[in-house]
Amino acid sequence: MTLFDLVVRSMRKNLKHYYLYFFALILSVVLYFVFASLQHDTTVMERTAASFNMSSAFKVAGILLLFISGVFVLYANSIFLKRRSREVGLYQLIGLSKFTVTRMLVTENFLLGTGALAIGIGIGLLVSRVFLLLLMKLVGIDGVLTLSFSGAAILQTIVVFVVLLALTSLQMAFAVKRNTLLELFKVDQSGERIKKPKTVISSVLGILGMVLIGFGYWLSGHMLNSLLLYNMLAVLGSVILGTYLLFRVTIGWVLYQIRVSKNGHLGLSNSLSLAPLMHRMKANANSLTIITVLSAMTLTMLAAAYSSFYSNEKETRLVEPFDYMIEGDTTATDQFRKALDNAGIKYHASTIEALQLDGDYEKELNPMLPYKDLQIRIVSERQLSEAGLPIEIKGSNSGVFLDGGIYWMLKSVEVPLNLTLEPKRLNKTISVERFAEGNAFNMIDYTSTLVVNEELFQEIKSEYKIHEETQLNHATAFNLQNEGQLEEATGLYKDIESPGKKSDYYTQYRNTLQSSGMLIFIAGFLGLVFLISTGSILYFKQMTEAEQEKASYTTLRQLGFSVQEIMKGVIKKQVFVFGLPLAIGLLHSIFALKSASFIFMSDVTVPTVIAMSVYIAIYLIFAFLTVGYYRKTIKAAL
Amino acid sequence: MSQKTTMLEAVSIRKSFGTRGQVQQVLKGLDFRVLEGEFVGIMGPSGAGKTTLLNVLATIDRTTEGSIKINGTDISSMNNRKLSQFRRDQLGFIFQDYNLLDTLTVKENILLPISVGNVKRVVAEDRFKSIARTLGITELANKYPSEISGGQKQRTSAARALINEPSIVFADEPTGALDSKSASSLLGTLAKVNEERDVTIMMVTHDPVASSYCNRVVFLKDGTIYSELYRGEQTRQQFFQEILKVQGILGGDSVDAL
Repeated sequence: MTLFDLVVRSMRKNLKHYYLYFFALILSVVLYFVFASLQHDTTVMERTAASFNMSSAFKVAGILLLFISGVFVLYANSIFLKRRSREVGLYQLIGLSKFTVTRMLVTENFLLGTGALAIGIGIGLLVSRVFLLLLMKLVGIDGVLTLSFSGAAILQTIVVFVVLLALTSLQMAFAVKRNTLLELFKVDQSGERIKKPKTVISSVLGILGMVLIGFGYWLSGHMLNSLLLYNMLAVLGSVILGTYLLFRVTIGWVLYQIRVSKNGHLGLSNSLSLAPLMHRMKANANSLTIITVLSAMTLTMLAAAYSSFYSNEKETRLVEPFDYMIEGDTTATDQFRKALDNAGIKYHASTIEALQLDGDYEKELNPMLPYKDLQIRIVSERQLSEAGLPIEIKGSNSGVFLDGGIYWMLKSVEVPLNLTLEPKRLNKTISVERFAEGNAFNMIDYTSTLVVNEELFQEIKSEYKIHEETQLNHATAFNLQNEGQLEEATGLYKDIESPGKKSDYYTQYRNTLQSSGMLIFIAGFLGLVFLISTGSILYFKQMTEAEQEKASYTTLRQLGFSVQEIMKGVIKKQVFVFGLPLAIGLLHSIFALKSASFIFMSDVTVPTVIAMSVYIAIYLIFAFLTVGYYRKTIKAAL
Repeated sequence: MSQKTTMLEAVSIRKSFGTRGQVQQVLKGLDFRVLEGEFVGIMGPSGAGKTTLLNVLATIDRTTEGSIKINGTDISSMNNRKLSQFRRDQLGFIFQDYNLLDTLTVKENILLPISVGNVKRVVAEDRFKSIARTLGITELANKYPSEISGGQKQRTSAARALINEPSIVFADEPTGALDSKSASSLLGTLAKVNEERDVTIMMVTHDPVASSYCNRVVFLKDGTIYSELYRGEQTRQQFFQEILKVQGILGGDSVDAL
């Protein structure tokens, strides 16, 4: 019998063990290949090349994907190796040299790897169309699908996975080299001896873990100042370290206290959840921390990307309150009116007057806005409301301040706040009664706007005229009656030549849609990969644990515990194993989103909840798969 | 002894393995009875059906034919769920390789069988204390199986078998993995438990020394009862000689090989 025969035989015999690793490999290949073919697709390339941000986002995502696939495959391989260590030991025991065993494993690995590569690319070719279709839909391009057979993508995938295979082979060689025969036979019983935690140190560290997380959460809500970057790093550092301590010390400590309080009367379900968890706490702390942090990252990324996609229309409307706006130029305005009339598009147009003044706040608004003077545009509440943007004003000598670009920094400023207009000449003081979200004018320029009631506006207008030869600005706002005609009207609007500034809702909407669509696609894709990786890692680990504990289940069944009773304990353990990283990850991501919420003007609770629910739903599939595997194992145990 | 009630009664039990065409009958119509408070040893050469008999009587496996009554309950017609419940309430088990849960301490392991049920914590604690004292493992309560010796593990296993105050304890080669000193110490304890607590024990073994601790030894051969020996008033040494004699006639594993 040649070595190759042995390889084929052992692979056939070990299918049960292989399928796990094989599946992990195929999955990684498929996802990587899909991403690579999108990267090489001409349509996508044209789109992304237009925007520097998008093409770099695609590149970064590619690297991240590569990294995750690599870690995932290596991890799956290490679990796989552990499960087979007995077999490897046996080969050595019957006299195969370590070199021969390594050669055998490496041969197997390459057979598996090339198989997975071929199958993965095959599946990838089939599903990449679906992904492209999805991407096109998300960025709002309808058109013919041109995804062609991409040789470059295949080559890239092959290169990446051959390198990965080489790495896993190296990993195998090391595993064979490192382990002594004795160890190889003992792996199945491995587990830690549970020591009495040193009370003082572990309670200090345990509390420190929670304090670090708490501090990170607190800081995340107070980091919008000049040290933003350092604050972000501090938050990341303290939360990750805190999470590690939480898993490594705090939870072990709590479990130990519970166990001591039971004084031996542990009960079945605790015997099957608490005890094995404590037994593997040290080994699990690393992976649980990684999974928690990864989940938090993924959740944050997904929720943020989905929120930006979901609230695109709302956000754009806040930035561009009117469908179209033309500043100053009456000829251009008339042209546009005529063009709209000719095309039979019904609209409402209204002219708004704006006084451009210098202003002076009574104090600095925010450490990040370290100045007191500003350019401000005063407009009348009545005119705005006629144009279709009603804004409620309460006081007679006060106004509402709007500036979409810096609203996130103004939200927290205390009102009322005094504002002196034209301090040198006019020196009129009015107060800001509130800071409202969004813009009052389309993004023609980046001037802030103060909306005041009609009387005050007229008063300022006349007083100002006395002092200065006025140059009152006019802008005309257009709103279509039928939103369906926006595309057509935008075409007409673009043709109007005007020395004055123009800005419209629809163009902005399309631009944001494209970038946020691309973003949600990349985030969703990466999120899916992260999710599948973390879920599979947990599943694989639990599978191994189930195998290791099989003997215990046999004993328990012989002692007369039913499958249902044993499952109760197992489910309790899974709630911990899957639930804890998820819960902590969720909490982390909620705080992360809260601190990043300034990028959104609108409320993003709904999209966040949707994104998180989808994540949780997919994540739970892995938990159910795991529970199912345990049930099967326990049923077969007697 | 005749006033004692019957604890276990098996009537013409048969057990066959395999599918049609290739049926192998392991138990061939066996009648068997254990009285309350008896310490019965089951001996016989490999393949005689010792372990199968034990599994069948202990409700871990089912008979092909025949009926089994334990403490007045007919177990042959029970469904799996009821059987589980029955095992937990009425039976105790001691296995050759201890089968302790590595993740639990000695005390937790011992208390496991009464962890789901209506035994109050105070009662459980009392039972544990008394059994641990009898078996001499009080000091080990908070140790893990990996920290104690084989003999100590088997005592723990025995304590676990006794905690639910079973009608009958089944022991499958309990001394199989022990050195002779630990083995005799454990057997002495089992005999003591049998005598003092009046616990019924049925032990499968192929070690004549081990079975010399019993009140009665049943020899199996080819799926039927070959003979029976009562210890009566003999010393353990005398009983041991008797057992050896029968074993010689029966042809133990080693004799067969010659």
